[in-house]
Amino acid sequence: MNENLHASAEKLIAQERIEGISQSEREWLATHLRECPSCTQVAQQTSAALSALRGLPIPLPRGLAARTQFRVQLRAQEMREREPKRRLLWIMCAMSWALGIATAPYVWRAFEWAGERIGMPKLVWEMGFGLWWTIPALVAAAVVVLENLRQAHERDQAR
Amino acid sequence: MSATFTTLTSAPLRSVLLFSAQMADDNKALALGLKRRDPDLLDQLIEQYQYRLFRYLLYLTSSRERAEDFFQETWIRVLERGHQYDSKYKFEAWLFRIARNLVIDWQRAKKMQSLDALTDPEEGAPMEFAAQNQPSPLHLVLTAEEKSGVHASLDRIPTVYREVLVLRFQEELGLEEIAGVLAAPLSTVKSRLYRGLEALRGAMQGGAA
Repeated sequence: MNENLHASAEKLIAQERIEGISQSEREWLATHLRECPSCTQVAQQTSAALSALRGLPIPLPRGLAARTQFRVQLRAQEMREREPKRRLLWIMCAMSWALGIATAPYVWRAFEWAGERIGMPKLVWEMGFGLWWTIPALVAAAVVVLENLRQAHERDQAR
Repeated sequence: MSATFTTLTSAPLRSVLLFSAQMADDNKALALGLKRRDPDLLDQLIEQYQYRLFRYLLYLTSSRERAEDFFQETWIRVLERGHQYDSKYKFEAWLFRIARNLVIDWQRAKKMQSLDALTDPEEGAPMEFAAQNQPSPLHLVLTAEEKSGVHASLDRIPTVYREVLVLRFQEELGLEEIAGVLAAPLSTVKSRLYRGLEALRGAMQGGAA
């Protein structure tokens, strides 16, 4: 028998299990398998390997679910306790930004006036204004980064 | 509306559509519960998926202790990132992806390269957690009977192939879902499955001989 036919049959045997095959391909394969003992053996070996894989028992560690549920509940409690602090942080940031936006024109004028009074270069007092504007965001970002680092450190220690 | 639905669809198609609609509703409820960090839902999910997740992690890490650590860590991540779950996708695919990412992160933290680059035999030398010339941890945890069976055959094939075989034939995930778990193209998933199936058949034949 042509070697190409065996190669096609073997490909279809795998494809049938992985992706599925069309009705005409299934019919062709069935006809070929009736006439070819070596491809029939490949089909049987593939089926045997997959049925062994599907029926493979894995013993679970004793109390795995209970231990995990306990850890998850602890973590959930910890998160609930931290939530108000984080919410407070965001409220403060929002208030700070809202006030910042509302007072920006006045603060700009104040920086401009102070800069002119002490003879400061324009770039310097403009940078001062920019810094004043970004301080709340920088503080909030620093708190969040520090908090995440602390949590990562705790996780590493737990592991 | 329901009369139109009944007359326009055949009975098997109708049951498939109803099942899909039911699944979509279940996934939405699940997403909502995860977003709220519902403790009862999490307890139930841990119970429900404990066997499948542990099995996947065991085949991924080849170590019972490490699989147990990652199992717990995965559920902590589910709690923390529950709001990121998209109800369009199967929960188990998302769960396995979290577990896999944790394993990869751990490997990276151990100053190793990514799991894909190291374990894909098409891209380089296959990686196992044990040194190449030593028995793998999976082999060490097997009982004498298990060593001669399908466990041993799985132990002989590279991790990337073992992983897709487990996801496809034990977890019965679709090809797209596996691609989602692996964050890999569909063509890569298919290629690994074909090679993995061939390797498993070969390994089982080798074991039986």
